[in-house]
Amino acid sequence: MKKIAIGGGQGFWGDSPDAAIHMIRRGDIQYMACDYLAELTLSIMAKQQLKDPSKGFAPDFVTRILKEVGKEAWDKKIKMLTNAGGMNISGCVEAIRQWAEAEQLKGYKIGYVTGDSIKEKIPQLLKDGWTFPNFDYDGDFHEIVDKIYNCNAYIGHEAIEQCVADGADVVITGRAADSALFLAPLAHEFGWADDDWDNLARGIMAGHLLECGGQGSGGNYMYDWRNVPRMDELGFPIAELTEDTFEITKAPDCGGVICEQSCKEQFLYEVHDPANYITPDVNVDISQATITQVGPDRVRIGNIHGKKRPDTLKLCVGYHKGWKTVSMLSFAWPDAYEKAKYCGEVIMKKMARLGMKADDVHISYIGVNSLHLGVADMSEEALKNLNECVLRIAVFSEDKSECAKIIPEISPMQLNGPPGASFFGGRAHVQEVMALWPTTIPRDALDIQSHILEV
Amino acid sequence: MAEIYLNDIAHGRSGDKGDTSNVCVYARKPEYYDIIKREVTPEALHAFFGDMVKGEIIRYEVPSLGGFNFVMKHALGGGATMSLRLDSLGKSMGSAVMRMKIHVEDGEL
Repeated sequence: MKKIAIGGGQGFWGDSPDAAIHMIRRGDIQYMACDYLAELTLSIMAKQQLKDPSKGFAPDFVTRILKEVGKEAWDKKIKMLTNAGGMNISGCVEAIRQWAEAEQLKGYKIGYVTGDSIKEKIPQLLKDGWTFPNFDYDGDFHEIVDKIYNCNAYIGHEAIEQCVADGADVVITGRAADSALFLAPLAHEFGWADDDWDNLARGIMAGHLLECGGQGSGGNYMYDWRNVPRMDELGFPIAELTEDTFEITKAPDCGGVICEQSCKEQFLYEVHDPANYITPDVNVDISQATITQVGPDRVRIGNIHGKKRPDTLKLCVGYHKGWKTVSMLSFAWPDAYEKAKYCGEVIMKKMARLGMKADDVHISYIGVNSLHLGVADMSEEALKNLNECVLRIAVFSEDKSECAKIIPEISPMQLNGPPGASFFGGRAHVQEVMALWPTTIPRDALDIQSHILEV
Repeated sequence: MAEIYLNDIAHGRSGDKGDTSNVCVYARKPEYYDIIKREVTPEALHAFFGDMVKGEIIRYEVPSLGGFNFVMKHALGGGATMSLRLDSLGKSMGSAVMRMKIHVEDGEL
């Protein structure tokens, strides 16, 4: 029976390339997909591209993965798929073309998918009456139109599958849904139709379990993190599918763990309603799913179902929201928390006198409550004997100059504040705050195209 | 009756989509599923978090996996991009849920 194996090579932009390299060298796989795009990544790329038009994609895919194992993948006929194209697909394609030429890979086929970036279509869509409703907050889209960095639709697997069908050795996309990168080659290999909902759902869940890299194989693993073998050589998960079965495993001779609990933690990660996990390709139902250990580092996934995909696509709109400044000062025993708290009060009194108009101020204490906030243990018992504590003050304003006001007031606390204050993390600087506008768009507003460039 | 941390009988992971945090919570042993179902209701979780979670909390049950998915809206101080929190992605929301104290009857564990 035909069996296809696909690996997850990257969980985000900045992830370690080690597992991807190992997987190409040692894994028995036909495909590897690399996810580089989190929710905000495209806005960051768009901003980079504004400053330098040659930027706007994840060069790491070329510099850290293709350069290491791209030729070996080509020799082994392992095809790669990635959304590393980000906001600059042509720039990414060109970087790959240059690499393939330098490696003398004559006939290397670069597939790429265009059409997810629709910022320039916004005026027409507004004219046509599309309102871009915000699903999280009230608000009028017109108020942010002038501040938009990027507007990209989460696209599905069809055009990616077309590239694979056309013989691409590597496929580059922009904002393809993470899991669509994995579904596309599976749909191609097994000939799944675009309305074969149950099978499409299986392919999506394969992608879902792989798209975060190490999170699917023992990274960020609450159940038993102490006993994850060789975390320093963490392998990333591999999905093996046949027409009937769907299993998760990993490459030989690497660290990590594939077991019921490691898969379960990733299974519902960033899912909302398990009976309606909506993707561009299929509405997935995992509310009755099963995960069963069937061998060492091998689990079988079952009872996944799919329903008709939605008529609209999710849009990722990133826009300029304002500015923020984050400042930190550290304090030591005795009374570390009390000193930090008092210092925060002193600074805020000064800021009130200086007339800082912040839209939001968030004060927390690293080592005490900066992570668990309101549910942290603030009992006298927990606070009285702290070795150290870091005061953290974060200020947001739509006005950049208001955020800047606090910066010169932090370092003087070393001499003018409670004893032992130490300027922590260097002088603060004003950072831009970008926000997301979660909304949807009709499918027919897009013009998604697949292309092949042969080297 | 005893008071324990949810962490004693459960494990899970948190993720983010905008300002929405989801935390999946799984029973460490099958027999703990019903305890979690009884103790970790959306109402109890809201009371636990207070104004740290400003929006609705929805609980989805996935008995075939021995777990639950909690979706908490307006829970991340504005979300990854805007939040002033140190943990703007809510990576530690999973462990925050685990420090909720729950009640177990004698003989339940």
